[in-house]
Amino acid sequence: MTVTIALPSKGRMKDEASAIFERAGMKIAAVGSDRSYRGRVEGWDDVEIAYLSASEIAREIGSGAVDFGVTGEDLVREGLADADARVDFAARLGFGHADVVVAVPEIWYDVDTMADLGDVAADFRARHGRRLAIATKYWRLTQQFFSGSHGIQLYRIVESLGATEGAPASGSADIIVDITSTGSTLKANHLKILSDGVILRSEACLVRARKATHEGNPVIDRIVAAVRAVL
Amino acid sequence: MPLINLPAFAGDLLADFERRNTLRVDTPVIQPAEPFLDMAGEDLRRRIFMTESETGESLCLRPEFTIPVCLRHIETATGTPQRYAYLGEVFRQRREGSSEFYQAGIEDLGDPDTAAADARVVGDAMFVLANRLPGERLKVTLGDQSVFEAVIAACGLPGGWQKRLIHAFGDQKQLERLLAALADPKSPGVFGHDVERVAALGMLEDEERLVAHIGETMKATGYSTNAGRSPRDIARRLKEKVELAAIRLDKEALGVMRAFLALDLPLADAPAALHRFAGKARLKIDDALALFDARVAALARAGADPGLMRYRAAFGRPLDYYTGLVFEIGVEGTPAVLAGGGRFDRLLTLLGAREHIPAVGFSLWLDRIEQAIAAGRAE
Repeated sequence: MTVTIALPSKGRMKDEASAIFERAGMKIAAVGSDRSYRGRVEGWDDVEIAYLSASEIAREIGSGAVDFGVTGEDLVREGLADADARVDFAARLGFGHADVVVAVPEIWYDVDTMADLGDVAADFRARHGRRLAIATKYWRLTQQFFSGSHGIQLYRIVESLGATEGAPASGSADIIVDITSTGSTLKANHLKILSDGVILRSEACLVRARKATHEGNPVIDRIVAAVRAVL
Repeated sequence: MPLINLPAFAGDLLADFERRNTLRVDTPVIQPAEPFLDMAGEDLRRRIFMTESETGESLCLRPEFTIPVCLRHIETATGTPQRYAYLGEVFRQRREGSSEFYQAGIEDLGDPDTAAADARVVGDAMFVLANRLPGERLKVTLGDQSVFEAVIAACGLPGGWQKRLIHAFGDQKQLERLLAALADPKSPGVFGHDVERVAALGMLEDEERLVAHIGETMKATGYSTNAGRSPRDIARRLKEKVELAAIRLDKEALGVMRAFLALDLPLADAPAALHRFAGKARLKIDDALALFDARVAALARAGADPGLMRYRAAFGRPLDYYTGLVFEIGVEGTPAVLAGGGRFDRLLTLLGAREHIPAVGFSLWLDRIEQAIAAGRAE
């Protein structure tokens, strides 16, 4: 059985992932040209590399089409229902750090916690004739955090695929759930993170699809052990 | 309408509905998703089947009937009072059971006599269930949102805390969390640096200055002062929060609330028990209790068997459009809920009705009723 590892197809994620595999004794070589979407690992004939976009990787691990993938934990938890049952976060790779956070306008002096936000959301309809609007691309994480962890039901998600942090100022949403690494973009847009508003501390992970065929396959264990050894 | 899985008793059920003076209505299976998400919250999104029209409008397969029936009532500008009945398929993503199943029910709109309408609807539900399940002993659980709200108000909590507790009614875990937070004198309110700064400037005592300061800051940072929360909204709630942080529930008030939430007794005994409770705790909740008493009396007049009904003070539904009575009906000794309903006096206004239309209704889970019939036969 060939074990397939999906890696990000471009950018810093690709470079950092490749560097870790190289340190782990799994030097990756492109098949054909440098821009090929396939790769192989020197000395590991039963392993192949598939280069995919970061969000595709989460989906492909979820469906079991690939055995391993390197991608952000946020994308996996957002992309898959019941993520922990379907995949194993085999190693946290120490790069691609980013937090998924709930951020509100700085000027909302009265809102510092999720409980405050719950109060505001409960009243919103009566005061403004509509529900509190949250701009985000993280539908699932937002729902789990608001409904599941904090009992807040009365809000609406406004899908936002880019420049989410501008939504509150432009009036297209009241607050946001978005990813941040340094917080500087939030600050520039006069947004603040709620004191208990960190939904997920994400980073790049080596993620394994939980597949029955992995049971007792020594290559699977060797890959995990090799990567873990160099972290 | 596809007739696969239509329960054998559907015809008899519709005849019963007609006998109870209702107008049968049907609504399209494909509905705009907006009203459902707006009323029930985002969490509903993963439990319904959504799609999009070519023009980008969010659509869903009908997940229930109350909202479509009410929307239809508003659109057709039908006068009230009006009693509607429905029977048809609904579609939900469920962990167990089929994701398409039949529901039927009654929505009783516009009767100003709250107690009589409440009793009539509970009577309707008991009548049609008793006809489907002759020989089974029904159990009816009743709760009352307005009695809970009255108790909370009479305990003397500030408005912000009342809202939190009312909002959590029916969500046992959340309610318990809030009571614990209220009782714990250590849990501090959280205030950011900015609040400390405006407090130091003395603005917390001067609402007009605070509003002006917030408004100027919003303009300077490019925020619209009228798209969402206004400077005054923020200023008012900040003051409310400062009060909230200072309030702790004393042991006695906490005991009163816990004692209330623990009430679970035959409905016939509930009026006396509630008056006794209010007297002992020295709470002024006469108006809410008067309505409660009137409902119990109306139920007796309507001929509903009081021996089958229990009142449970903590029983509620965590949706903000329920306003008074909530109830559910099952078969004694089994956990399945066969009928659920309640009063939703706010819903029609929220859906866009121009005048206030009081409303109460229930829906039946026909698949569960079929299972209950089969289980009864098997015995």
